Amino acid sequence: MRKLLKDTTFEVIRAIAPLIVVTIILQFTFVKASTGVFVQFLIGAALVIAGMVFFLLGIEVGILPAGKTVGAGLIERRSLWLIIAIAFLIGFSTTIAEPDVLVLSRQADIITDGAVSESSLVYIIGIGLAFFVTMAMMRIIFGFRIAYLLTASYLIVMLLSFFTPPEFVSLAFDSGSVTTGALTAPIIIALGIGLSSVMAGRSAISDGFGLLGLASIGPIIAVMIMGMIVH
Amino acid sequence: MSGVNILYTLISTARGVAEAVLPLLAILAIFQVLFLKLPISYIINLLKGTLIATGGLFLFLLGAQIGFLSYGQAIGEALGDFTQKWLTIPFGFLLGFITIWSEPAVRILCDQVEEASAGSIHKRTVLIAICIGVAIVVALGMARVVYQIPLLYILIPGYTLAIVMVWFTQKEFVGFAFDSGGVATGPMANTFLLGLGLGLASAAGGENMIVYGLGLVALIALAPIISVMALGLIIRIKSRYRG
Repeated sequence: MRKLLKDTTFEVIRAIAPLIVVTIILQFTFVKASTGVFVQFLIGAALVIAGMVFFLLGIEVGILPAGKTVGAGLIERRSLWLIIAIAFLIGFSTTIAEPDVLVLSRQADIITDGAVSESSLVYIIGIGLAFFVTMAMMRIIFGFRIAYLLTASYLIVMLLSFFTPPEFVSLAFDSGSVTTGALTAPIIIALGIGLSSVMAGRSAISDGFGLLGLASIGPIIAVMIMGMIVH
Repeated sequence: MSGVNILYTLISTARGVAEAVLPLLAILAIFQVLFLKLPISYIINLLKGTLIATGGLFLFLLGAQIGFLSYGQAIGEALGDFTQKWLTIPFGFLLGFITIWSEPAVRILCDQVEEASAGSIHKRTVLIAICIGVAIVVALGMARVVYQIPLLYILIPGYTLAIVMVWFTQKEFVGFAFDSGGVATGPMANTFLLGLGLGLASAAGGENMIVYGLGLVALIALAPIISVMALGLIIRIKSRYRG
């Protein structure tokens, strides 16, 4: 544990140092923000470093092993319905709790003058994501190529983007990006690796990944469809 | 930022983190009781890890909110005052690169890729590919604000390119290439780069400030998908020439 803490601290410092150094150089060359804003940045940077050390440490010792165990445990149950239920539940509940999703949904409320309420969009995004996480897990289990799934979904996204009212287009794309928050992302990654690790004939590297990528397409499609219905 | 503001940020960040963690713990608890039945020592370890990660995430998000959003905005406004507009583009590249370099979820993904590939795909290589992708797209995003290019003009060709590359890149790269799009849009990009985009848009005098500032996130989600698959393509071509 002590060695892990030391390694993580070094990794974090190496990760954040370039950002801090460049910002300090910019501050004294041409940005020249007020002292208040600059001091705030320095305090924020210190918090970010400390926070990232503990975050990565906790993910490494707690969350990643847990996600992998749950993923592997799901397969050992040999019940397709259970896997579908759990995948849907995890996808849905983590999304509707994601703070960024709430922020985005508030914007939709404003854009549509209340025609799309904040809470309904949260659920639409949640269902879109949960549906795609479930589909992505089915892919790992039945072993079809991710390329087919990705091509089909991306073609649908592009097609829909021409028929979606413009104010919903960027809302839709943004909703795809905000759903996979800092905590949800490692859990979903670990789930996929866990799933593929116990299945015969699956490799962790080509089959275990992709859950997160597919998951973010769901909300895009869901919001675009909603935009078309509202208009 | 006044005292009231800081208190508000503190409370809303704590609430956000709690709301993200609690449903996960609830699902895991149900799962544990009904199906998993893991030994107690394992559960204690897991709770310890979750507690540490949650505390860390709270500090991290707080720091990013307090320090990075407003400074990103200050940089954006300073860039908007440039008389030489094209100069914003190299700055976008540099800032995009170093921001994603510091994004924690990107590090986690790269670690897992190296582990899952038994070391054959090096994490540093993937990290650099992701950073270059985002750097290019932030540079493009700066150009988009300064020259007022519609979002779909970049997104549609980008998506098309991604679909085509899926079929030509190294097969193992496809899955985590798409995952990298999800991790790149983390808290760093959402504060520092979003602030940068908003600051530039407001300084460049665009009335559609929000529209231009927000589209950047969609671009950041797309860029690493393409750059990681490009890495896979390069590796595939190289290995073909070797035999």
